[in-house]
Amino acid sequence: MEIRVLFFGVLAEVTQTMFRHYRDVISYSDLINRIRDEFPEMEHYNYRVAVNSEIVNEDPGLKNMDEVAFMPPFAGG
Amino acid sequence: MTEDVLVYGPVTREIISSRLDMLSERKELGGHSLFLGQVRADVNGQRRVKAIEYSAYEEMVKKEVEAIQKEILSGFNDVRSVVILHSIGTVMAGEVSLLVLVSGGHRQQAIEACSRVVDLIKERLPVWKKEIFEDDSREWVRNNLA
Repeated sequence: MEIRVLFFGVLAEVTQTMFRHYRDVISYSDLINRIRDEFPEMEHYNYRVAVNSEIVNEDPGLKNMDEVAFMPPFAGG
Repeated sequence: MTEDVLVYGPVTREIISSRLDMLSERKELGGHSLFLGQVRADVNGQRRVKAIEYSAYEEMVKKEVEAIQKEILSGFNDVRSVVILHSIGTVMAGEVSLLVLVSGGHRQQAIEACSRVVDLIKERLPVWKKEIFEDDSREWVRNNLA
């Protein structure tokens, strides 16, 4: 399946991208592993993951064209 | 209930005034509580903040604001409306970057709910900010939720 991935805040700087497509994703853990392999420096940062704007704490069961966002701690207000 | 939440640049006096002007048409309301968050010229070591650059996950901000509004309206039976405006982009020190306006029949719930909304914004809105110092250096900020 094809997954849209977004990076925000400091993670957009670390990965030097805000948006990218991942193709032939098998599962959520496959996607996470691919991102960790591609951006090993992300392990130095805290972040939460949202799928289609909902924060997830475990494998949400991805569907084709889902949007997965990597978000550092919020700082609004 | 959905309306534009994100304002590009500062929440200006004109925006604030227009929000206040709208209230006079709501004659069932008896109390409004207004919170304005302003960019503070913090000093970090030898550096003073001159501006903050905000970025956001816009789709999620809209969803979370709707959820916060519903939560407040169901938790405070005297509250009739909750307006939230948050800046994205660059806001200079001294300018306003957040407006929360809670209106109700009477003052007590409006004041309590307004404070609660500000807490929820800090906790749940996917917004990030980077301080820009007078020497043009930049640094990401993490909220202190305490």
